[in-house]
Amino acid sequence: MNRDGRRAGGRAADRQTDRHTDRNTDHAADRNTDRATRRATDGPAGRPVARPPADPPHRPLPSRTPMRAISAAAWRDVGRDGRDTLFLLGVLAFILAPHVSRLPLWCTGCAALALVWRAVLAWRQGPLPGRVLLALLLAAAVGLTLLTHGTLLGQGPGVTLIVALTALKTLELRARRDAFVIFFLGFFLVLTQFLYSQSLPTAVGMALAVWGLLTALVLAHLPVGRPPLRLAAGIAGRAALIALPIMVVLFVLFPRIGPLWGRPDDALATTGLSSRMRLGEVAELALDDSIAMRLRFPDGPPPQALYFRGPVLSRYDGRQWQVASPWQQALQAQQDANARGLGPGLRYEVTLEPTRLNTLPLLEATLEVQRIDGGPGGAHVAVPSGLTTRSLWWQLDQPVSERLRILARAWPAVRYGPTAETAAPGGELLELPERAHPGLRAWALDLKRQLGLTRRDADALAAAVLRHIRTQPFVYTLSPGTYEGDTLDEFWLQRRLGFCEHYAAAFVVAMRAMGVPARIVTGYQGAERNPVDDTWVVRNRDAHAWAEYWQPGTGWQRADPTAAVAPERVERGRSLRPAPGLVAGVLDAVNPGWVGSLRSYWEAVNNGWNQWVLNYSRSSQFNLLERLGVQSPDWVHLGYAVAGLLAATSLAGLGWAWWSRTPHDPWLLALERARLRVVRAGGHWPAHWPALTAAQALVQRHGAAARPLAEALQALDAQRYAAAVPAPSARRAARRRLARAAAALAADLRRQRTTPRTRARAA
Amino acid sequence: MARPLAAPRDAASHEGAGGPARRLRQAWRAYWERRHPRRERTPLTHANVYILPTRAGWVFGLTLVVLLLASINYQLNLGHLLTFLLLGSAGVSMHMTHRNLRGLALHLRPPRSVHAGQALALEAVLDNPDARARHGVGLRLRDATHRLAEETWCDVEPGGQTVVHLSLLTQRRGRLHVPTIEVSTRFPFGLFRAWAVWRPAGEVLVYPALEQPAPPLQSPGGEPGGAARPAGVAEDFDGVRDYRRGDPLRQIAWKKTSRTFEALGTLVSRDRETRSRRELWLDWAATAGLPTEARLSRLAAWAVAAERAGLTWGLRLPGTQLAPDGGDTHLARTLEALALWSGA
Repeated sequence: MNRDGRRAGGRAADRQTDRHTDRNTDHAADRNTDRATRRATDGPAGRPVARPPADPPHRPLPSRTPMRAISAAAWRDVGRDGRDTLFLLGVLAFILAPHVSRLPLWCTGCAALALVWRAVLAWRQGPLPGRVLLALLLAAAVGLTLLTHGTLLGQGPGVTLIVALTALKTLELRARRDAFVIFFLGFFLVLTQFLYSQSLPTAVGMALAVWGLLTALVLAHLPVGRPPLRLAAGIAGRAALIALPIMVVLFVLFPRIGPLWGRPDDALATTGLSSRMRLGEVAELALDDSIAMRLRFPDGPPPQALYFRGPVLSRYDGRQWQVASPWQQALQAQQDANARGLGPGLRYEVTLEPTRLNTLPLLEATLEVQRIDGGPGGAHVAVPSGLTTRSLWWQLDQPVSERLRILARAWPAVRYGPTAETAAPGGELLELPERAHPGLRAWALDLKRQLGLTRRDADALAAAVLRHIRTQPFVYTLSPGTYEGDTLDEFWLQRRLGFCEHYAAAFVVAMRAMGVPARIVTGYQGAERNPVDDTWVVRNRDAHAWAEYWQPGTGWQRADPTAAVAPERVERGRSLRPAPGLVAGVLDAVNPGWVGSLRSYWEAVNNGWNQWVLNYSRSSQFNLLERLGVQSPDWVHLGYAVAGLLAATSLAGLGWAWWSRTPHDPWLLALERARLRVVRAGGHWPAHWPALTAAQALVQRHGAAARPLAEALQALDAQRYAAAVPAPSARRAARRRLARAAAALAADLRRQRTTPRTRARAA
Repeated sequence: MARPLAAPRDAASHEGAGGPARRLRQAWRAYWERRHPRRERTPLTHANVYILPTRAGWVFGLTLVVLLLASINYQLNLGHLLTFLLLGSAGVSMHMTHRNLRGLALHLRPPRSVHAGQALALEAVLDNPDARARHGVGLRLRDATHRLAEETWCDVEPGGQTVVHLSLLTQRRGRLHVPTIEVSTRFPFGLFRAWAVWRPAGEVLVYPALEQPAPPLQSPGGEPGGAARPAGVAEDFDGVRDYRRGDPLRQIAWKKTSRTFEALGTLVSRDRETRSRRELWLDWAATAGLPTEARLSRLAAWAVAAERAGLTWGLRLPGTQLAPDGGDTHLARTLEALALWSGA
């Protein structure tokens, strides 16, 4: 970097004196007149410390040389600064790469161009562009951002600007100060990735990127010679590894605060369920393999068929099904109040992906939601006030914009109170548009007539309709083709190709035509058990629609006409899946289990990631504190914990520093203790004596009394410099022997010292 | 005996007696010097290695704050992780920076005297007794006026030594305390700068500057103190004798030696005794009319010229006299006398 700066400044003359300087070399010419000039030279080992003074002259363009010429030698020829710059550019390109599809085209192009340009300059060691040009480019970038986004504030324009700034700044990469700006912008860029994805692969990729940035930072502070990349990477990696515990502790304990200012709800594409249904929409969903939610059943395996209840649609205008009108909902809320679960409840835990919908697709017959963690706007320790249920369809008053964990209880079946007190619903639930589906309605009335008066209750009618589906050549398919004219009539009476929506809608229309209140329920059906971590995974392709009808005496009854035509779709929770891709196909052909088990592992890992990292919220913190024994934890406790741990870490650092200030080599310690013993007893043993010198001198001075000590010293010395490292026990023994001998000599010296005195006193 | 001619405090003491601020500064300086006594060998320990964040470190702190705010606002748990990882790394780097200096031991090889105006070569030896390498350790001289110069960077291998050459342009003759040397490092991330102030115990004699060009040895007017023979005249071959220890190399008669070495088993030197029977006195009085320093410079130049010509010379200064002699040692004595002469 220094070299480029010098080139750019046209000050090649001061290269000799200023080679190892740290400061911006723009001032080097002034400093050159300093009184002091100096240079670094070799150490005794002869390792060259100074960089070779000769700068390679301007070399021909590498692009003109054939590719094979760009070899290791050419790489070495790039020079140390060039190599460092290329490395940093590589790291930046790595960070920027995932942004390519999200940025405006001009920004991507600009960034790529700037990076490539800078790389070519580093390779050729050419001069950097002037500041005027850079200022113009910067103005252009800001202008284009304004043009594209209409503003400079917010997530989109912010990311665009940061990318443009970083790319332009590389063209100004002269001194180390500029390099720092790049590093800091690089960390921002890493953060901007998380705005779009916080998945495990993103995290791993960005961890690598941070490592790369830290490595480049270390390289910038290894001023001597041409340090290998491996060395710098090792140093950076070690620092980061030691920092990991600090990171974990802070992550766990740092109080999670809600958004500070307007939360940018930049809409991401929503998947899942919506509060209206038109035939055909669920078909699109069925192809979406992403995960909608995960379940856990702490009390044992779930019942056979898992239905997750989403929006309940009862208003029908002939083309589109919609949620009930408010007054109808109020009626349904009364019915819900009468609902009672039969038998023991089944506890379960749902981790719901952000759907951006209000709906919580919980298990059918969920009468009780115990707890929601990580709700919008922070955590909810208890059930939030915004939670409501209508027709046992659970909703929040805000869209689910982050992962939620919900603890709830479902019952195998629900009864809607004693018959006499439960009025049969009417109104919307019986309405059919005048002219809609004449064929189907005629068929339904016909069926009702056939059954006769005795078997006219809702259960019997529903059974008859389902029997019809089962016995007639109905086909379950995701691509039934387009229906022209009256969709349901055509489906029911002629083509008989359809998927859950067709069956559910036709069923409901038929029931209503026969005078039975009925409605459509959308949601998910089926779940796949992941054997690795024993969770049940519900995917968006498991979206389903089924029907409910009112049976006087029991209440709402579920009827799944799809089960009648494609029972495997319901029982095993196997949705139709499009043909696998080439790789998956080959793998599947080799070993049919592989793809499945690989997928299971991956999803288990991913689930762990979601649970422990992404889903970690304020309530998780409070839970943790509770488990640690803090009663009703709050902010203050978290603050104490953070402060306490930080203080402990600092103290540990201090203690370690204190400890390292004294010699802690056991050999030296043993020697020092022995020396102090002898010195305190009045012996002469200066600290700088090597062990053998001390042995000799002590024997000379104290005679035979010092001989055991001398021998112990010699033994210890021999051990210390032995070719093979002695066993730890032998080393301990030698140290003990030294201590004993020193104590003996000290006692002897004291005796000698006191004896003449006592004698004198006696005399 | 000599004025502390190039001592660092000299310049500062001319700035006039001052108020409390100045006294405070003096007290501080006294404390500072007590704290960093001049020592032969200075080990870097907790007591004398200081550390503070660099400007880049402060900016990095600001970056962390912004990263944290963004993570909080966008509820990015990975952003929290990133922020805390960087924070932890910065904390670790602080210890690494401090450790990069701690444990080093510094000493200075005895410097060779030079003439004022010449660069004094200082050889600082960095001793690393530990099993880990030290990277990016910079040394620089700290001047009288604390004008900070650029660092010279070096690495020190585990268990090894590195010699760093610093050079300092001398200005005045006399005894020169080796100036304070600042040892610093920003390794590994440049967020912190650790430094130690090293005051080496070495003292070096700076000889008077050599007058250039100096008038020939023979003084104008053929005064008694003048030279008997002008410098640069071709030397006569007066005779040879056996080599004696201390004879300069150029005094050895190599041709003669090559012929007689086998027989005599020793080198043969030209006999200077026979050649310089006439004694040369470099006399203070002969330089009358010049300022004091210029006179000393001229005498020094003459002494060097006389030694180069292989003459013997004596030195007469007011209050000091050196008997005529020749050779390196005598030259050194002469120059020392000139360097330390403080007036009659």
